[in-house]
Amino acid sequence: MLHPILSPPGSTVLLMGNEAIARGSIEAGVGFASAYPGTPSTEIIETLSKIANHIGIHVEWSTNEKVAFEAAYGAAISGVRSLVAMKHVGMNVAADALMSSAYTGVEGGFVIVTADDPNMWSSQNEQDNRYYGLHAYIPVLEAYDPMEAKEIVKYAFQLSEKYKHPVIIRSTTRLSHSRGPVKLEETPKIKIKGKFKKNFEKYVIIPSNARRLRGKLIEKWRKIREEVNETPFNKYVNNGSNILIIASGMAYGYVMDSLKILNYRDKVNILKISTTVPIPEKLVEKALREVEKVLVVEELEPIVENEVKRIAFEREINVEIKGKEHIPLKYELNVDKVVEGISKLLKIRNPLIEETIKIEYEDTVPIRPPTLCPGCPHRAIFLELKWAAKRMGLKEIIHCGDIGCYSLGAYQPFQTQDIILEMGGSIGVANGLAHTVNEPIISIMGDSTFYHACIPGIINALYNNTPLLVMVLDNRITAMTGHQPHPGTGITATGKKTRIIDVEGIAKGIGIRYVKTLDPFKVNETIEEIIKALKYVKEKRETAVLIVKRACALMISSIARRRGIKAPKYQVNYEKCRACGICYNQLNCPAISSIENGKATIDEYLCVGCSVCAQICPFNAIETLRKPSDEWEQLWRRD
Amino acid sequence: MEERLNMEKNIILVGVGGQGLITLGRILGTTAINKGIKALTAETHGMAQRGGSVTVHVRIGDVESPLIPMRRADAILGLELIETVRNLTYANKKTILILNNRVIKPQIPKIKIPETEKLIKIIKETGLQFKLIDALKLAIEAGSEITQNVVMLGALIKTNILKDIMNLKDVEETIKMMFPHRIAEINIKALKLGFEA
Repeated sequence: MLHPILSPPGSTVLLMGNEAIARGSIEAGVGFASAYPGTPSTEIIETLSKIANHIGIHVEWSTNEKVAFEAAYGAAISGVRSLVAMKHVGMNVAADALMSSAYTGVEGGFVIVTADDPNMWSSQNEQDNRYYGLHAYIPVLEAYDPMEAKEIVKYAFQLSEKYKHPVIIRSTTRLSHSRGPVKLEETPKIKIKGKFKKNFEKYVIIPSNARRLRGKLIEKWRKIREEVNETPFNKYVNNGSNILIIASGMAYGYVMDSLKILNYRDKVNILKISTTVPIPEKLVEKALREVEKVLVVEELEPIVENEVKRIAFEREINVEIKGKEHIPLKYELNVDKVVEGISKLLKIRNPLIEETIKIEYEDTVPIRPPTLCPGCPHRAIFLELKWAAKRMGLKEIIHCGDIGCYSLGAYQPFQTQDIILEMGGSIGVANGLAHTVNEPIISIMGDSTFYHACIPGIINALYNNTPLLVMVLDNRITAMTGHQPHPGTGITATGKKTRIIDVEGIAKGIGIRYVKTLDPFKVNETIEEIIKALKYVKEKRETAVLIVKRACALMISSIARRRGIKAPKYQVNYEKCRACGICYNQLNCPAISSIENGKATIDEYLCVGCSVCAQICPFNAIETLRKPSDEWEQLWRRD
Repeated sequence: MEERLNMEKNIILVGVGGQGLITLGRILGTTAINKGIKALTAETHGMAQRGGSVTVHVRIGDVESPLIPMRRADAILGLELIETVRNLTYANKKTILILNNRVIKPQIPKIKIPETEKLIKIIKETGLQFKLIDALKLAIEAGSEITQNVVMLGALIKTNILKDIMNLKDVEETIKMMFPHRIAEINIKALKLGFEA
């Protein structure tokens, strides 16, 4: 089936914000696109990867955001329009290149999409990446719905090319993962090959050139500040009121819906700002001069607010400006919060709080944390880790965790992620702890995370005689963001075959002497190997690597369904089951639950046949109904 | 986009990751757009692929932002009862509840979960109009247990909340457009079973 973003020009289709951004880049003639997957940005490059072969552009999953950024920059300095996408924290990884890219500028349009995550739906912090624009002298554009997102991408490419300068688009989870109607337009002929014109003064930022470029950057910025006053996406509506509401990005939609609820849509002046950095000063000045009171509504940090206050101060406009006083600084905005803020400003009652219904909660509703899937190999290894520690009599192991599905190991019953900081933190942080505490340290990372940011940390560990055990949970895919291929899979983003860069080879190549690959579905064997490796680290005082290799269960069960490969089947023998609860409490598989007498039952719709419960049952009460076929075994290994 | 002044319908879909809520949001949004009416949808869920709480907001008509304000849902489509009770804060006195008669245990060891009867009692005591559906049974009858979501969609269409926007036939057209033939057939059967339930 044709991807909806390739529907004919003129048609209106329902697109996710990220798909709209992808479509916008095609309508702008993008020839190169790259990213490292990261929620909520992933679908931008994923969408482009699905249609790349069809339209003949280069799309790639890069090993990390820094490489993705540099690759897209490389394409742009050859004159090819390029796009790089990342989640907000990914921009920290790319920041080194980002800062200097503003000095050199580019040749073809270069658009950087950052998808921020207010409320931290799937992130470790809620940093506001609009600050990067201020920090780096790079314009930041914000859209409020998928349709505008598509259009703003096209404008970003024009702006970038006009000033030969990178441009940032700041999306958020809400925009990236919302769906709305998007009208498709014609796509131009795409330029996929460029020419790099050598230019020592522009592209070689040794100090003498950098000093000159810094001056040029400030001059360029002055011109861009003028330009944004003319942007069609900034919109001022004067309804003859003495009150002005300024809204940027997603906040504009919330403001419009809030004013509808309050019946105030045509009773206040509205300034919609889409060029948050730099702010359209002349437009802001004009709007400020026409009112007495102002409310700035924006998500997270007071970036527009501070700029508006500066403009009022510098131009001596006597107006009352409110922002974060009425609009929360933390978490995601919504209509409820904005109605509350506007009600406070207008000193009217908030109609939303008066429409309550009676709800009697006798018990609190139980929370429902996300969980590892049935048959997830991470569940097996976490259980094995705990059992290995128990057998060795180790009370305190410090598990340095990382970012991936396996972060869920932090929850009960495993609690095998004691520190999670950022991508690659598992090994970096372990490099310090291993020298300062006496407990054994295990650094736990996924396969995609290994390629992303862990290799330098492992080299560091070996180089500095660091006694720690590194465990790479290799599930053969970037699982958490929805199954993107990585350098270990032998497949590129666009489905082309490529060399497999395998974890074991890298570990051995670095010079690690103790490297073993384990199958987490062989429970006893794996426990023995963990014990051996921990002993090795303790005795030899050096770094050891265990690779725990089994494919993602979700991916395998979906491939098996498509190919008609039947999963093995297990069933509880109630004669033998002693209701000990090891399978449902310690393994905590969603496919296993307890019945009234405490005995276990397996949900045949959820079970994917990993066999781990059958292996750990002390009474051999879980029996095989259908043995795993050879095809099934092969599918799981995915070598 | 055809503008229908002030018309606004808010449907919130609640359940557990893996139940097909996001697909339902896409079907509803696409059907509205095919009828020339604006729709915005939003998903809220955590980091994992499966097992966590999921809510999908579907807003149709004169709307500029994708999240439904508290107490502004015209209907709550609950694919799971704990999640339904959790999201009753979206209901006002006129909200209609269409509920799958199913409880999925949160994956926390040794957790005590409220009994189905208790959850239904909480829902009854709100005084809201509600309909309970055995979606699993109907989904299996349609040909696959994973079509429970579409069974529930059929029941939603039956309530007439969306009667000015779409009918059963319109939803069928969207399903045919979105899925390969064989899968579409099973889903259309599920849709009809839900509609007739």
